[in-house]
Order: sequence, then C-alpha cells, then structure tokens
Amino acid sequence: MNSETQKILTTDGIPLEVSLKKAERKNKIKAFLLVAPLLLFIIITYVIPIGSMLTRSIDDKMVTEMLPKTFKSMETWDGQELPPEEVFEAFYLDFQNLVDERREGKLSTQLNYTKNGFKSIIKKLRRKSKSFVEGNYKEQIMSVHKRWADVEYWQAIKRRAPAYTVQKYLKGIDMYKNDKGEIVNVSEDRRIHRLLWLRTIEVALFVTIFCFLMAYPIAHLLATLPMKYSNLLMICVLLPFWTSLLVRTASWMILLQQQGIVNDFFVFIGLVANDARPEMMYNKTGTYVAMTQILLPFMVLPLYSVMKTISPSLMRAGKSLGGTPFTTFWKIYFPLTIPGIGAGCLLVFILAIGYYITPALVGGASGTLISNQIAFHMKATLDWSFASAMGLMLLTGVLAIYWVYNKIVGIDNIKLG
Amino acid sequence: MKTISKLLLAITFAISVTTSAFAVTVVSWGGSYTESQKLGYGDPTAKATGIEINWVDYSGGLSEIKAQKEAGAITWDIIDVYAMDTITGCDEGLFVEFDFDKDFPAAPDGTVASKDFFAPMPSKCAVGNILYSWTYAYNTETIKGTPKTIKDFFNTKKFPGKRGIYKGALTNLEIALAADGIKPGKGGEKIYKALDTEKGVTRAMDKIKELCTDPNGGCVFWSAGAQPPELLVSGEVVMATGWNGRFFNAIVEGAPLKQVWDGQGLDYEYFVQVKGGPNDANGKALKALAMMTSTEMLAGSAKHIAYAPYRISSIDIMQAGEPWFKDGKTNMVPQMPTAPANTKNYFLVDPIYWADNGTELGEKWEAMKAGF
Repeated sequence: MNSETQKILTTDGIPLEVSLKKAERKNKIKAFLLVAPLLLFIIITYVIPIGSMLTRSIDDKMVTEMLPKTFKSMETWDGQELPPEEVFEAFYLDFQNLVDERREGKLSTQLNYTKNGFKSIIKKLRRKSKSFVEGNYKEQIMSVHKRWADVEYWQAIKRRAPAYTVQKYLKGIDMYKNDKGEIVNVSEDRRIHRLLWLRTIEVALFVTIFCFLMAYPIAHLLATLPMKYSNLLMICVLLPFWTSLLVRTASWMILLQQQGIVNDFFVFIGLVANDARPEMMYNKTGTYVAMTQILLPFMVLPLYSVMKTISPSLMRAGKSLGGTPFTTFWKIYFPLTIPGIGAGCLLVFILAIGYYITPALVGGASGTLISNQIAFHMKATLDWSFASAMGLMLLTGVLAIYWVYNKIVGIDNIKLG
Repeated sequence: MKTISKLLLAITFAISVTTSAFAVTVVSWGGSYTESQKLGYGDPTAKATGIEINWVDYSGGLSEIKAQKEAGAITWDIIDVYAMDTITGCDEGLFVEFDFDKDFPAAPDGTVASKDFFAPMPSKCAVGNILYSWTYAYNTETIKGTPKTIKDFFNTKKFPGKRGIYKGALTNLEIALAADGIKPGKGGEKIYKALDTEKGVTRAMDKIKELCTDPNGGCVFWSAGAQPPELLVSGEVVMATGWNGRFFNAIVEGAPLKQVWDGQGLDYEYFVQVKGGPNDANGKALKALAMMTSTEMLAGSAKHIAYAPYRISSIDIMQAGEPWFKDGKTNMVPQMPTAPANTKNYFLVDPIYWADNGTELGEKWEAMKAGF
C-alpha cells in the first residue's frame, strides 16, 4: 500500500485536502473582510495615535540636528567647568545657521523645556550676535547675559545631544539624567509629579470604594423591588447620569460651599455655630463627594444587570438549608455579584484616574491631578512630547491595574450586562 | 416647487462655501469679551472694508493652531492671545512677523503706530489689542473697614477672612512682593528683578503660604474669570483678586463690590496673524487686522467692556465722547486700567519673565500648594 492510494479524492479528481483548504481560505477572506472596517478603524483611531505618542515622547532628533557642531565639540568636554572656546565657537556657528533659517525660536522653546531661562537669553543672543567679531566667542557670548556664563546652562544643552531620550519619562517622576549619565532627583521644591501620581491614584481608589459602598445597596434594591418602584428608582439613578457634568459639579459647589445650602441648614438646625461652618468644598471632601456622585451610575448599572440575573430561589434555598440571612448573603449572593463588582470597580477606577474637570473646579489647593498637568503641557507650554510621555505613563498604569485585576478577579468574570 | 427648493438649497450651499472661504476668521475667548470685540470693531471694520469677519470661540492656548498647522489645514486667520503665547507661537513660526509702522495706521495726530502703543510688543508677531488688569475687590457688605492698598489684601489681622486668588503662580508672586514692601518701580521692574533670584521667589512664595495657612485667612483658588465676583457675592471669601472687566460688569449689574487699584498688575491681550492662514496670501487678514487695531476702532470696544485700548490715542476719543459706556451714563476713562488714578502703584506683567520661568515656577507653586 503506497501513499498515493491513501489520498481521498473529490469527484473532480482534486485531493480532498486541497479543495477543503480552498473552501476554507474563501471563508477566511470573507471573515477578514467583515472585520476589516473595524480593524481599520482601530488602527486609525487607536494604534496610530498611540504609536505617534510613543515616538513623540522619546524622539529628540530636532535638537540633535539643530546643533550638530556643538554636540560634536562637546564630546570631549567633561561637563564640570565651563566648556572650552571650541564649544562656544561651534555653538555660535550652529546658532548663526539657525538664525538664517529663522529656527532659533524653536531651539529656545526646546532648550527652555530642559532648563528654564533659555528663552530670553537666546533672544538676546540673536540681537547681540549680529555685531559679534571673529574670534574669542566664549567672551562675547558670555557677555550677552550672565546665564551664558553659568555652567548649568551648558550642561542642559549637552543633555539634549542624544537623538532618542527617556528624559521626558524621568521628568514625569521628578527625576532627570544628569550629564554624567546618573539618574537623580530634581530639587526638592520642584517635586510635583510623583505627588500628583499618588494623589490621582488615591482619589481614584477612594472614589471607587465610596461608589461601591453606595451602589451596592441601591443596585440590590433596584433588582429586588417590584417593577413600579424599581422603575422610579432607576429614573432617579439615570436622571443625573443624563445631566451635564459641569452642571452637576456646579450644583455641588452651590450646595457645599461655606455659605452654601447644606451649611445654612446645619446652622439653622443648630448643628454648627454660624462662625464655625465646616469646609466641605475646595478641598478633598468636595472632590470625593462630587466625583462619587458623578461616577455612581457607572457602578450601579453593571451591578444591577448582574443582580437581576440572580434567582431569588437561591437565597430561599440557602435559608431553608439552615443558613442565617448573613451567611446566605455572604456565601451565595455576594459571590454571584462579583462579576458586576469587577466591572463596576474597573469602570469607575479607570474613569476616575483620568478625571480632571471636577477636581479642578472643586478640589482647591489639593485639587490638581495628573491629567491637569498633561493638559497644561498640551495647551500652555506646547511640550507635547512631555504630555505624550505622561499620557503613556497613565495608560501603562491603567493597563497594569487591568493586569493585576485579571490576576485577582479574572477578566472572564467581568460582566457589564 | 421642488425645483425652487433645490435651487434655494444650491444657493445657500454656494453662499456658505463662499463665505467660509473668503471671510476672515478671528478666534477669541467668547462671552462678553468677544461681544465687545464684534460690536466695537469687528462689525465696523467689516462695513468699512467689505471684508466679512467670522468670529470663532476657543479656550486659549496654542495647541489647536499647532495641530492645524501639523495637519496642513489651517482655517484660522487671526487669534486673540496672551502675551506669552505670542512669544511661544512666534518662536515656533506659527505667526506672521509685522513691520509695525508700515503694517498699521498711525494715530490721528500722526504718531506712528509703534509710538502709539501703551507698551512695546513682546514679540514681532503681536499687535496690541487691549490692556486689562489684575486687581482685587471686596464685598462692601461683608467686610469691616475699607481695604485700600495691596498690603491690606494680605493683612488678616485687620481684615480676617478667606481670600480668593488665581490658581497659578502668575501675578500672585508679584502682588506678594508688592505687599511685602518692594516698590514696583517703573512698570514693575524692581519686582521682576527680585523674582529673578531664588531668594525673591522664596520670599514671594512664603508670603502666599503665610496668607493661605493663616487660620484667620486661608485661600480659595479660582480658575475661571467669572468665579471671583461669585465667590465675593456668595460670601465665600472677603477679598479676591480678579480681572477688572469682570468686577466692573458685576458692579454695573448691582453687586455690592468695590475694586482696589493699588498694586494692580497690567496685563495685555494681543492679536496675532496666522502664517499660511486662508487669508494670509491675499492680504485680507492683515487689512482687517490693521483696521481693527486702529485708534477709533479700539476705542469702540471700550463702549462695551472695561478694558483699555492698547493705543494711547484711543483714550482721547473716549474722553471726548464721555459718558462712553453703552448704557449712556457711565464714564469709562476712570474705569480704564491705564487711567492715571489707577496706575499710581502698578506693575506690568512681564511676559518674557513668564515665558522663561513659567514651567519651573509652576512646579514650585504646585509643590507649595500641595503642602497646605
């Protein structure tokens, strides 16, 4: 028996294997074409922007090619004392090229990101450099402004030499790589980002916990009450959900401020003295109250949809087998709601971690979160590479949480409805 | 019937296409401010030159125009920006550089444009629009006594109660030093000299910290211009810094507020012209801009809002036409941030200082706030 005879042939003589593959390939192409629009959509709206964010955050070619001679001459400079004449000369030549191309403004913006104070001295240098004479550029440049004679500014220029850099990520955690290649902390009175990260996580975590504590009973009521009451309750949950975010935030400001309605009421019933009204707005209390209320529906709805599917007979069965109400709740009902808890918590946490308008309005001194800082660098300083770096750090953080979550709860156990 | 409606549709489509293609798009901050610009000089300019002007709102910053440029689809012609943004945008090559005396008309008495500006331009790309001021105001009903100076703003013994201040470091450091005893000098140069040193910045921050952590004081930080009058009227704070135009409007509407001009910070708004904008090459954008920033036109905007025209010569026109405010009974010259009575002790907000040090000071400021 040889292998030839073993092959099964179709009626028209083609081996079955081949014709099956052919039919399958057709199906595969059809399936691919069906998902192609979605795939294209994801690539255009998700993969490309995130990819460009990533390259923007590490790409530092612009400065590298603006000052080629300077960086070349800086290779031999140890970075301790002021650089030698050759560096100054190379910098002057590079700078003249940039002035001719009218690109010195861009250089000043870029260098100002690395160290503040470059903008004005570059502008001054452009004005003064027109009357420079040949030779001894060190003296001439240093006489333009005292900062040009400060070694820290030259170190800052040297730090921009590599074409690719992780400086922006380090800056996001209040560190930087100095000219010796060591990673060090920025000075203490400027450490703000680490604090903001911690605060952002803290706020998101507590808001998630408060939402959970409040949403669980509400969702339970929604799922168990008779239809006519539960519908009314549902409207009460959804109505704020449909109201503009800003309106809700502003209403909380009116309610909770020191001269606000809630405080007026407390004074009226004699709970607090008129001159000792508690501060409930423009601090963390205000942030927690407003954000919890705004994000509550995102917790209620997944919980409700899961609880709705739990048959009441399970609880009855538990009780009939001798369980106390608490045991039946804890051993039967609660584990069954975990998929809803998972979905709700993840949803609220991820929304809260990127939130910024509400904390910005009601948070007062402690109200700035990391997203405010990202917006600041997007809009005001135009340091998009730093904003991208922080955006990606936030995204990585969310993905990390998602991963931990998957390990603990299991992503398959999440149910949105 | 059907053909008529189709024809109408075609015509409206054609009109909308042509207007959006040929109108000069001016981008500004919206609200009563844009209203004052539109009524004050936008509409008269359109009438006089025949160039249609299309007003668009934005919320500040250069990210949108930078994105338009990167995408190669610029739709804006003229933008109303802060001084700092004119520097950044000019450096980035987003805006057109001007030759002031050639591009802009002289004052009625023949003074060339560059000599008629209240202060020199921060960059070659900017043409002055208005000056506004960072003053402070108090609620006459809730305060005991009458605050008169910038020192009183920081005096919690004499005037206990919370203060409303701007959420960022901008102008707060300056008033802190002015209140701490530094005489601003000409245009505030002594203040900025002090702020150029580490010691001066620390001194200013300490002063703010002292105010905000004082049990008799305390700070509420505001971010939107509408907030200070609201905070004052609701009694949340006893005094608040803010923009003079907002206080003026609240007072005109009957709020029991009073402004204090001592130690005020004069700040500026500028127009810039976008390089490569739809009406850059055909010269319409520049033509409209030159008209809008002329003496008479700028004076027109002060009919609607209490911000001072950038042209010195505009004040004369207002003086001659008092009461200048649109209600027909309020004299506007005394309400101008540049009026002699209001500029006895003031500083000019230095855009170059803030362009230089803004980010670092911002970080220090936030780090300080986090410690309250």
